[in-house]
Amino acid sequence: MVELTFDPAEARAAEKPQDPRRASLGRLILTDRFFKLLTRAAAAFVLLILFGVIFTLVEGSIPALREFGPGFVWTEDWNPVKERFGALAPIYGTLVTSIIAMLVAVPIGLGIAIFLTELCPIWLRRPIGTAIELLAGIPSIIYGIWGLFIFAPFLQQYVQPFLISTLGNVPGIGWLFAGPPYGIGILTAGLILAIMVLPFIASITRDVFETVPPVLKESAYGLGATTWEVVWKVVLPYTRAGVIGGIMLALGRALGETMAVTFIIGNAHRISGSILQPGTTISASIANEFVEALQVLHTSSLMSLGLILFVITFIVLAAARLLLASLNKRAGG
Amino acid sequence: MDRGLYRRRILRNRFHMTMAVATAVFGLTWLVLILAMLLIKGIAGLNLAVFTEMTPPPGSSGGLLNAIVGSLILTTLGVLIGTPIAILAGTYMAEYGRHSKLTDVVRFINDILLSAPSIVIGLFVYGIMVRPMGYFSGIAGSVALAILVVPVVVRTTEDMLLLVPSQMREAAAALGAPRWHVIRYVSYRAAKTGIITGILLAIARISGETAPLLFTALNNQFWSTSLLAPMPSLPVVIFQFALSPYEDWQRLAWTGALLITIAVLTLSIVARLLSSKRTV
Amino acid sequence: MANFAVHASADSLSNAKPKMDIKDLSFFYGDNKALKDITLPLFEKRVTALIGPSGCGKSTLLRILNRIYELYPGQRAEGTVMLDGENILDPKLDANYLRSKVGMVFQKPTPFPMTIYDNIAFGVKLYQKPSRAEMDAIVESSLVRTALWGEVKDRLHTSALGLSGGQQQRLCIARTVAVKPEVVLFDEPTSALDPISTAKIEELIDELKRDFTIVIVTHNMQQAARVADLTAFMYLGDLIEAGPTTTMFSTPKDNRTLDYITGRFG
Repeated sequence: MVELTFDPAEARAAEKPQDPRRASLGRLILTDRFFKLLTRAAAAFVLLILFGVIFTLVEGSIPALREFGPGFVWTEDWNPVKERFGALAPIYGTLVTSIIAMLVAVPIGLGIAIFLTELCPIWLRRPIGTAIELLAGIPSIIYGIWGLFIFAPFLQQYVQPFLISTLGNVPGIGWLFAGPPYGIGILTAGLILAIMVLPFIASITRDVFETVPPVLKESAYGLGATTWEVVWKVVLPYTRAGVIGGIMLALGRALGETMAVTFIIGNAHRISGSILQPGTTISASIANEFVEALQVLHTSSLMSLGLILFVITFIVLAAARLLLASLNKRAGG
Repeated sequence: MDRGLYRRRILRNRFHMTMAVATAVFGLTWLVLILAMLLIKGIAGLNLAVFTEMTPPPGSSGGLLNAIVGSLILTTLGVLIGTPIAILAGTYMAEYGRHSKLTDVVRFINDILLSAPSIVIGLFVYGIMVRPMGYFSGIAGSVALAILVVPVVVRTTEDMLLLVPSQMREAAAALGAPRWHVIRYVSYRAAKTGIITGILLAIARISGETAPLLFTALNNQFWSTSLLAPMPSLPVVIFQFALSPYEDWQRLAWTGALLITIAVLTLSIVARLLSSKRTV
Repeated sequence: MANFAVHASADSLSNAKPKMDIKDLSFFYGDNKALKDITLPLFEKRVTALIGPSGCGKSTLLRILNRIYELYPGQRAEGTVMLDGENILDPKLDANYLRSKVGMVFQKPTPFPMTIYDNIAFGVKLYQKPSRAEMDAIVESSLVRTALWGEVKDRLHTSALGLSGGQQQRLCIARTVAVKPEVVLFDEPTSALDPISTAKIEELIDELKRDFTIVIVTHNMQQAARVADLTAFMYLGDLIEAGPTTTMFSTPKDNRTLDYITGRFG
């Protein structure tokens, strides 16, 4: 784009009295320049938000990081009374709930996407696809309240006792399912997260699957491949970057999700081996304690948790975006 | 032809396809269950008082009026603050700065902000507004929501403007129109429906947001429309009431959840209808 | 180097004087030289046709004349193009102002997403402040000139997108002439239209040359023969030859021109 070089004095000098159009020119060009600057400032503002977030979190974290040093990250203590704070339990809870969510939601989400692109009767594709996209937009607090009142009691009454009496006795993994059935806890939170990111994974993988050129699939079918072979050997390899990108995007959501988890994690600042026990996550700790945190160190520790969460999700989301961008580049030719 | 191999392939296919259908049915069942329970529980508590009475103290009945009004104020203000900035930014990316380095950087960062944890945005606004001002306020809540609006609208504005054919811009420029006139009278008009869709989706997104309001707008049990005081909102009230031991509060929480879901779904459906019939 | 010695003896060219003067014009897409030292006068109130096989640079040349190429990065023109004693390639000359003097009609009809009336008012309002009545008059006269008035006068305030392809193209011409340019550039204006609409546009061009200097890019040689006073043949970024249309089509000097007009390539 050629920069507009407009000097009103020069324009006046060049002004030809016979052409009235020149008179309007100054106004037109100044307006244009003004809006160019304005839009550029708005674009830069988006960057400013990011820097503002980072700056605020770092600044807020300083007291805690100065007090506890890097050990903050691997200390399990969280004691507002003694003013001892460590991030290990929330980090552990965040990671474990997200892993559970991904383990459950990825296969199911892929299954839904395969169903929608390969098996579903054409007339049902749009309604189901639309329903899933709409569900992806439902606020997380809805999942939270449902988890608290319906899902957790259900797990407590039927599923957890069963898990404890079966898997709980298997040597090697039994410790994962030890203890009494609380209903709420790490497993419940992970499952709710799974239900929450499920529509998201399903709709994004379906979109990615649809970028496969029909020719590619048709030629595989032409060779006599079964639907599963086409999906497994043509569609998935072709869309690998996009599918992984979509999954990481979902992971980013799960890691940062607050409300769906806060209701049902139990908010216990400790690490128990059993996934049936209560725990906490970074975002749940912040949501539960931030307003009530009175000491500087407590507030600052929560800010540090926010910083850690932001860094983790930033990395995951950046990786996801790069993978998806590489896919778009290829789809765009 | 190896008949055994063929048979194995067919069986494997049948197995995996059955699994795909099963997972789809299983996954969709949960989602249907959530909506069903929400309807049952939410409708049970739905009555006129919900819309006419304030949030009650524990143990007595009441409504959600102040929370509904608070949510409306916070959301409206959030959209009013966030949308103009976002549309201008998207305009830069698709028009003036289409080929500039800044655009690439902004697009990447914007995509990350699009899915960044909203609770972190809450912390950010707490840091830049609540702490310096010394109190929780409706305006802080609106700013937090505005920051969530920005990435959604930036993204749709850019996408929709990029869809405007370049011949259209050339034709306007060929009449002697500077870029701004081309954008305002031609690009914006051509992309209008798309941009409105984006705004509706942004409203849908923030109207259920809870985390960024927890320590910005906080909550308020009473009627309050002052932007400089804590302001109630439906999501925060739901959060507080659902976790309480009182049955009245829990019932109101369900009803509030139903209201939010209806609002969000309505907005998304309207947005969808708008974008499906692309007319000018 | 092209021979552009135009014989003033040809009827259609008597008394013609150059309105625009292209001298040693080269054009680059990045490092790729798309036009090579073009020199060509464009005569006032005459129709000049640019012909040649696709990729020969005829559209590129046209897009230099109103500097529309500047909308995209990495494109650059060298040389001079004089218009009324000013070099239009001089960056000091504002491109928007230039475009108000050198209008352009594109290959595909590009009505703006607004009413028929507003399509015309858009360009006019940029450089004038007409009253409502004056604007009505401008709209009417431009539509009358483009033979569209009778067809649209009852629906001026409905969307221009409801018009047929040929009507849309005539609307585009109407909104271009409404700005009162001095030169009008046509970039294959009928390639997207049916034969009847094409004939209407050609008639219109013939009518418009009473007031405007016209340059038309076309891949249709019959069209060039029908509407143009002068024709320039381009090939691979070079201007091969230019002259009165009748001469060009009867006795071209260059074999490549002959090959092209007799359909041996292109």
